Amino acid sequence: MKWMPLAATAALLTMLTVPQAFADKLDDIIASGVLRCAVVLDFPPMGSRDANNNPVGFDVDTCTDLAAALGVTPEFVETPFPDRIPALVSGRADVGVASTSDTLERAKTIGFSIPYFAFTNVVLTRTDAGIADYEGLKGKKLGSVAGTFEAILLEDDMKTWGSTSTFQGYQSQADVFQALSQGQIDATVVTSTVAFATIASGNFNNLAIAGDAPYPIDYVSLIGLRTEYGLLNYLNLFVNQQIRSGRYQELYNKHVGEGDAPDLLIPGAYY
Amino acid sequence: MFNYTFHWRPALQALPQMLQGTLVTLQLAILSMIIGVAFGVVLALMRQSKNPLIHFPATVWVEVARNTPALLQIYMAYFGLGQLGIRLDSFVALLIGITFNNAGYLAETFRGGLRAIPQTQTRAARSLGFGAYQAFTLIVLPQLFRVVFHPMTNQMVWAILMTSLGVVVGLNTDLTGVVQDLNVRTFRTFEYFAIAAVLYYLIAKFVTLGARLLAWRLFRY
Repeated sequence: MKWMPLAATAALLTMLTVPQAFADKLDDIIASGVLRCAVVLDFPPMGSRDANNNPVGFDVDTCTDLAAALGVTPEFVETPFPDRIPALVSGRADVGVASTSDTLERAKTIGFSIPYFAFTNVVLTRTDAGIADYEGLKGKKLGSVAGTFEAILLEDDMKTWGSTSTFQGYQSQADVFQALSQGQIDATVVTSTVAFATIASGNFNNLAIAGDAPYPIDYVSLIGLRTEYGLLNYLNLFVNQQIRSGRYQELYNKHVGEGDAPDLLIPGAYY
Repeated sequence: MFNYTFHWRPALQALPQMLQGTLVTLQLAILSMIIGVAFGVVLALMRQSKNPLIHFPATVWVEVARNTPALLQIYMAYFGLGQLGIRLDSFVALLIGITFNNAGYLAETFRGGLRAIPQTQTRAARSLGFGAYQAFTLIVLPQLFRVVFHPMTNQMVWAILMTSLGVVVGLNTDLTGVVQDLNVRTFRTFEYFAIAAVLYYLIAKFVTLGARLLAWRLFRY
C-alpha cells in the first residue's frame, strides 16, 4: 500500500510535534538556555549592587544556583518592589527571587514556592528622634515601603493606637532610608537584615535600631506564574535541596553574617 | 504571552477609595494651576524687563522648569530641600514641583500671548487716561487670557497627569498613590491601573469640557 510510508511519516511527525504543544514554562526556560530572575536591588543583603555595579546578594546567588540546577545562564531583571508581578506576567522575567512575602491576598494572583528565607522585623529610627522601642512609635511620623508585609502590619497597629501618628508609603527601600535620615519621617519598621546591612554600610550615620517589632515571622518565597505547576514544583524541590545541601546556611553566612540561618519550618503546621 | 486572568469584581470594590484619590488629584492640579498662572504672568513680565536683575531669575526659572524632567523637580522639592533641612510633606512637595513646572511653561505661553497683543492697545488705553497698571489689568490681561486659553487648557491636563508622579515622594492619597497601594497589596496590577487610566481620562475630559464652557461664557463677543 502506497499510503503506508506517508501515514507512518505523518504519525512520527505528529508524535514529535505534539509534546511541543504542551511545553510549559519549565520547558521553555530549559529550551531557551536562560533563566530570567526578577530581583530587587535596593534591599541589601538580599539584593544590591557592588562597587562595579554588578548585582550581588542572597537573592542574586539564589538565582544563580537555580540557573545552575537548571543548566542555564542566569539573567537578572531588576525590578522595584511594586513591579515584581508585572515583570512575571508580562513575560519579562521567568521567576521572582525577590524576597516576596507569601500573603494570601497575593497568592490569588501569583504562585509561591515553599519559603526560602524568613525575616524578623525591627524598628529603625533616627538617633535624635527619641524612640526607644516599638511602643515609642505612637504619635510619630512613620513610613515604610508601601504595601509590604511590615507596612501593612504597621498601618494596622496605627489604626488601633488612634493617636496622631502619620504614615508615609514610599516606592523603594532607598527612599525610606533617605526620608528617615532627612527627618521627613521619624521611624520605619524594616526587616532586621536590611536594617543591619544599612547601618553597616555607613551611608546613614544617624540611624539606629530601636528594638524588635512584635510581628509574626515574615516568610518569603520564590514566585512564578500561578498556573505554572511544573515550575512551582521545581522551585519547591530547589528550595528543599538548598537547605539540605547546606547551601542555604552557606549563603546566609556569606551575606547576612555568621550565625544560624532562620528556621523555615512553620511550627505545628504543614506548609 | 500575556498570562493573566482579570479579577474585575474585587478591583471594582476598591472604586470608592480610588474616587477619593481622584479628588486629591483634582485638588492638586487645580491648586498648582491657579498658583502656576499667577507665577507664570509675573515671570512673563519679568522676562520682558530690560533690567538683568529682573530678567535673569525669571529666565533661569523658565529654563530649568522646561528643560529638566518634572520627576526631578518633584524629587528635588522633597529630598533636595530635605537635605537642606526644609522638610515638606509629600502633598506640598508635589504641589511645589508641579507649580514650578507649570509656571515655567505658562510663562512662555504668556510671553507669546503678550506679543500677540498690539502695543497700540496699551498706548490707546494710556491716551484715554488709564494708568500703566490699569491698562495692563483691564485691557491687556483679559485679551491675553483669550489668546492663551487653549494652551492653558493643555497645561491643565498636563498638570493633572503630572500629579501621578507624587508616588515617588511617598504621596499615597492621590489616585496613583491609592492605586499603587492597592497594587502592592494584591498584585492585581492590570485591573487597578486600567481603572486608574479610565479615571484619569475622565478627569482630563471633564476639565477640557469645563474649560470650553468657561471660554464660551467668558470670551464671547
